[in-house]
Amino acid sequence: MGDVMVGYVCKYTPIHIIESFGEKVHKIDPLPANFDNADCCTHNNMCSYVKAVLEECLAGKIQRIVLMNCCDSVRRLYDVLKLQPTIEFLYMLDLPRKADEKGCIMLAKELNAFIKEYEKFSGINFNKERFVELLHEQRNSRQYAKAGVNIGIMGARCESSITEIIQNAGANIVFNLACNGDNVIETNGFNGEDIIYQYAKTLLNQYPCMRMADTTKRYAVLKKDIEKSISGLIFHTVKFCDMYSFDYTKIKENLSLPVLKLETDYSLQSEGQIRTRIEAFIEALKTKKPPRLTSNSAYVCGIDSGSLSTNVVILDGQRNILAYSIVPTGAKTVDSATEAFENALARANLTRSDISYIVSTGYGRIGIPFSDKRVTEITCHGRGAHFLNNSVRTIIDIGGQDSKIIRINNKGDVVDFVMNDKCSAGTGRFLEVMAKTLGLSLEDMSKEAANSKEELTITSMCTVFAESEVISLIAKNKDKADIIKGLNKSIAGRTLSLLERIGRKKHYMMTGGVAKNSGVVQALEEKIGEKIFVPEEPQIIGALGAALIALENIKS
Amino acid sequence: MDMVKAYGNFIKKSAENPKTAQKLINLGLAIAYHWLSRRHDKKMPKSFKYLNRICIKFMHQPLKNPNNSAWVNLFAPAEILHAMDIYPLFIEAFASFLCGFECEDEYIDRAERAGIAETLCSYHKAFLGAGITGLLPKPKFAVTTSMICDANIGTFRHLTDMYDIPCYVIDIPNYYSPDAEEYVVDQLKEMVCIIEDIMGRKLDEARLKKVLMTENQTRTFLKKYMDSLEYKYFPTTLTMEMFMLFASHTFMGRQETYRFYQMLYREIDSYPQKQVKRIFWIHLLPYYQTTLKKYFNLNDKYQILGCDLNFDFLDNMDYNNPYKALAEKMIKNQYNGEYQRRIEGITKIIKKLKPDGVINFCHWGCKQSSGGVILLRKAIKDMGIPFLSLDGDGIDKRNSHDGQIKTRLEAFLEILDG
Repeated sequence: MGDVMVGYVCKYTPIHIIESFGEKVHKIDPLPANFDNADCCTHNNMCSYVKAVLEECLAGKIQRIVLMNCCDSVRRLYDVLKLQPTIEFLYMLDLPRKADEKGCIMLAKELNAFIKEYEKFSGINFNKERFVELLHEQRNSRQYAKAGVNIGIMGARCESSITEIIQNAGANIVFNLACNGDNVIETNGFNGEDIIYQYAKTLLNQYPCMRMADTTKRYAVLKKDIEKSISGLIFHTVKFCDMYSFDYTKIKENLSLPVLKLETDYSLQSEGQIRTRIEAFIEALKTKKPPRLTSNSAYVCGIDSGSLSTNVVILDGQRNILAYSIVPTGAKTVDSATEAFENALARANLTRSDISYIVSTGYGRIGIPFSDKRVTEITCHGRGAHFLNNSVRTIIDIGGQDSKIIRINNKGDVVDFVMNDKCSAGTGRFLEVMAKTLGLSLEDMSKEAANSKEELTITSMCTVFAESEVISLIAKNKDKADIIKGLNKSIAGRTLSLLERIGRKKHYMMTGGVAKNSGVVQALEEKIGEKIFVPEEPQIIGALGAALIALENIKS
Repeated sequence: MDMVKAYGNFIKKSAENPKTAQKLINLGLAIAYHWLSRRHDKKMPKSFKYLNRICIKFMHQPLKNPNNSAWVNLFAPAEILHAMDIYPLFIEAFASFLCGFECEDEYIDRAERAGIAETLCSYHKAFLGAGITGLLPKPKFAVTTSMICDANIGTFRHLTDMYDIPCYVIDIPNYYSPDAEEYVVDQLKEMVCIIEDIMGRKLDEARLKKVLMTENQTRTFLKKYMDSLEYKYFPTTLTMEMFMLFASHTFMGRQETYRFYQMLYREIDSYPQKQVKRIFWIHLLPYYQTTLKKYFNLNDKYQILGCDLNFDFLDNMDYNNPYKALAEKMIKNQYNGEYQRRIEGITKIIKKLKPDGVINFCHWGCKQSSGGVILLRKAIKDMGIPFLSLDGDGIDKRNSHDGQIKTRLEAFLEILDG
């Protein structure tokens, strides 16, 4: 034995027992390109992590796996894996939800049963001496807060690609208490006859996950230890894992630090968006006061490379907008950025060498080689909006593929934000698809809602389903204007629920391409019950903010 | 129908004024009990008319008497509450009533806005929304089991914290063993002590035994009804099959339930044998769904033979050892533990009832049932019985797409009729 690793998924897994058989353990942290095979063996609405594990198993990458009876999705994973011929060892331990004495006795019995089963499978007898040795080994060196931005991770299991992004953005991870996080248990000093019981007790009494009956310990440590050691918390949830949404609402109430909520589906597809959110969060934590401007002769530029359009703003040293340009983003980020930049330069009657500093932002900010600095569009929108209207506290930005709500303070610093998850529902792309379905241009669509006479409700939020719903409404001879109004209401509803996640605070500004659609703005105003300020050119706010940051930089 | 919609709109508009919304719910239940439940189609069997009335009563009692009520989930051992004359508020059913009252969307949205995952089961989201807005009167305590469905612990913990009431979680192991049974028995005893303290009265064990005896007798009628169902035509509706969950679970052991099953088994005898297409239903029924209602409600051509959830535990209970019997009932429920147990339980019932087809309903957010659908499909197909799986939502009308359901269902019925 020993060549093949034993995979596991849960921090309650008795890894010391498995290792005492001479086996190597491996925390399964998959990142599949898709769930094509997994979806054929189970339902597509299962927890994304479980589907990712299943995908790995079906690809033959895991032959031995020890599961805990974690949740409904893991239980079904076990049932499905039982029939897979490539799995040579599969075992699920029944983990009690109570950590009292009776729960510990139950788990000790489970552990003994597991030992017997592994002895039978491997032909090796359980080595108690080796087990004791392993328990006495120090395995997780505890992390400490360091100078700079210190981050903690909580919530549902969090893939390693996220921790890498956090570290690459220059933050230090002080702890990872996500449900597959560090197995931090104190096992030193264990000995004697009832060692398995002691081990069971220690496993059950670690920082509780959300499936446990008593989770008060989760919140008790927040004030005592956690708040002092970090400057921000990243709270991660997995699509179709519901347990941690309960936790998030509670953590928000109990913690006075900034919290970034991230939801991923454990696939490679959403990495770009996740990176933006994490980087913006860390930037907000790093925020320094803007330096005073001393030179009036400089020209700076901000480039916002979005998914549908690339926008450029040129400012002079007195923060006057000299020129701007908007071009559609083509297949190559750098080409569109160059085109927009050249257009703006021509309008400002300047050349490239006149520009002292360039800040790029937006989805494609990394792909612009001639920029001096990259800042996320979240920070930039905050700056840009504040510059145009300093009473704004909430920015509603609906762009091509993202919608965001950004909360800023009276200085224009970002204090909180939320973003839609990997889905185009309620974004510019959604409107584009619907306009195409209705055979209208985006501009006509914007005006058309005003002619609506009948109240229609579009129930599907998903772009794909909404499209088929619109087609059925067309088939029923419903009026275009009514359908459009229904769509606008649907977007407004979606945006409102995003807004509710950080709470309402006036005044509101709407930015991004969708802000040009007066029907959507009106529907949103009705939902929120407040007037929304729409800038003259809502698409350039990110680029404007980037240019303002560029100005700060040349003087700092 | 429009009247109900208008009534639902009143409730929705009163979401910010929980006292008014509570009054509207109570009024709706009173009207439903005294008037609507009597206005059934002539085709509707009498026993179902009776079932309709007692379910409304079961729902209304805890809402009218919150100081003598407790929240419970579908699998909680409500027998203990019956023996102490405490009214259980069966939370999934409350959510289902919100759907009947045409206002579930408001409460589901409220829960989502409060940060609850949109992928959570809609029954739980609707109940959470009701709790968050204060639509629910404050009960004395709550009891939930950990078995079968993950959503329970989260929902109960969230709302009982918010309402500041005690919540007892009964942890049910995955597999039966004497140790597992003892683990549950100890918890039940601890729970009874806590309830006694809260309510200021003792549980009379003789009463509990009597409740379990009634439950056994009731189940005898249920099994006799199943025997007749093998060859009789008995018209039903999606709603009645859902109402039966009150009888087969939370209100087992109550006299009204005993009477219902007695009526049911007597009544089915008076029905003819008839050539209809017989369909066995697995998991929840979206009782509001237009197309399904059209094909299955009191239909002469297609009959729903029953829903598997109503036959999940059919053993006799050892009423002389009530705690042990309740522990065993929960651990041995066919949905607890491995999915294979459920397949065995379902195939056993299918072999008995001999349906022409099987429909499985994947309810939005329900991982425990949806996750095994491919395994189930194979097992039913291996029996040579046509199988259809529908995706939708038990209560949130926005998650059930009529066009999709219609095409799939009609194609399936064409296969059966073929």
